Amino acid sequence: MIKFFPNILAALMLGFFAPGASADGDIQIQDPWVQAAPPSAKVLAAYLEIKNNGKKQQALTGISSPAFGQIEIHRSVIHGNMAHMEHLKELAIPPNASVAMQPGGLHLMLMDAKKPLNAGDQVPMTLIFGNGEKIAVTAIVRSGKTGSMEDHRHMDHSGHGEHKH
Amino acid sequence: MKNQRGALTRKGLAILLIAAVAIVVAAAAFIGFRSNSDTVVKPPEEIEDYLFWEAKELTGFKLTGAGGKALGLDDLKGKWSFIFFGYIHCPDVCPLTMGILGQAFKLIEKNPAAYQDVQGIFVSVDPKRDTPELLQEYASYFSSKFTGVTGDTAQVDAFSRQMSALYTIHPKEAQASGDNYLVTHNSTVFLVDPQGRLYGRFPPPQLPQEIAEVFLKIHTFYNERVKK
Repeated sequence: MIKFFPNILAALMLGFFAPGASADGDIQIQDPWVQAAPPSAKVLAAYLEIKNNGKKQQALTGISSPAFGQIEIHRSVIHGNMAHMEHLKELAIPPNASVAMQPGGLHLMLMDAKKPLNAGDQVPMTLIFGNGEKIAVTAIVRSGKTGSMEDHRHMDHSGHGEHKH
Repeated sequence: MKNQRGALTRKGLAILLIAAVAIVVAAAAFIGFRSNSDTVVKPPEEIEDYLFWEAKELTGFKLTGAGGKALGLDDLKGKWSFIFFGYIHCPDVCPLTMGILGQAFKLIEKNPAAYQDVQGIFVSVDPKRDTPELLQEYASYFSSKFTGVTGDTAQVDAFSRQMSALYTIHPKEAQASGDNYLVTHNSTVFLVDPQGRLYGRFPPPQLPQEIAEVFLKIHTFYNERVKK
């Protein structure tokens, strides 16, 4: 039994109980989740927050998951009531700042789902950073908190999620 | 001097009277003009921003739902229709907006009379990928009040252009695989009244509480002031 313990601990650390983080702790991933959608939805969206505690700028450059054929960084932009998506090659996280993805803005576009996902399912994902760091996270499938979208109105679409008040 | 002053006063009085009559006539004409058409009865301030100045009669259209069931102008009459243009391969804005509408319908449900007048229509502007069957399954996930429809490009355009709901299907990026192209679409939720007229709209970003509260006020205003 004892020898399984480290595995369980590792699994927990990769799970949603503990946020994913880089080895040096400079990059932390918080609250990764996938928007629950009807089975007919072939493309889904995932959201998470990336904190950069370090002194150097970091960049999310790629994402992979066994549950999807392809994952890209996208940003929904609504301009004059017209909604469109921009594909970002990478997402910069300035030093001592965090970038939060949110419905209606920055998101990970999950394409070619291997099978339909239901609320409560767990999706393992690996985030790849420009410095070569790979961070494993487990995203939970759930319905978005559309009832508390008040913040959405004041969202900064510039891609820099840090709050300036 | 006295006479002169008296004359001036009389002249002043005459001017005042003419001015007063002119104001009354202008006001009467204005009120009369506004009462001429039921659509321009002054709505309460809190819903005014959501309404079109003049409700726009829609012309006939034909879209197709699951099982080949046609949806046309007659299907909008007698109901308040919440109309949203999107596409299933839209992972962010469409489920967000559909989810918000679904929650708004749940809030409206607390007023059964208003709720029974409500229907939601999800129109796919991407008929190449979205079949009516897929659309119905997709739309009803967010609320049983939703019908999912589409048509050929000409049919979709004949409907969407009446609401100036423009969209663009982008040629897929060279490196993108398969069917992964993007679509720009209007993310406004349009409101059609029970007479089949484009009556109001909820521009993004929407909130469930906002849609429900404003709709219930519109519903009351319409029943009290407009429908007669």
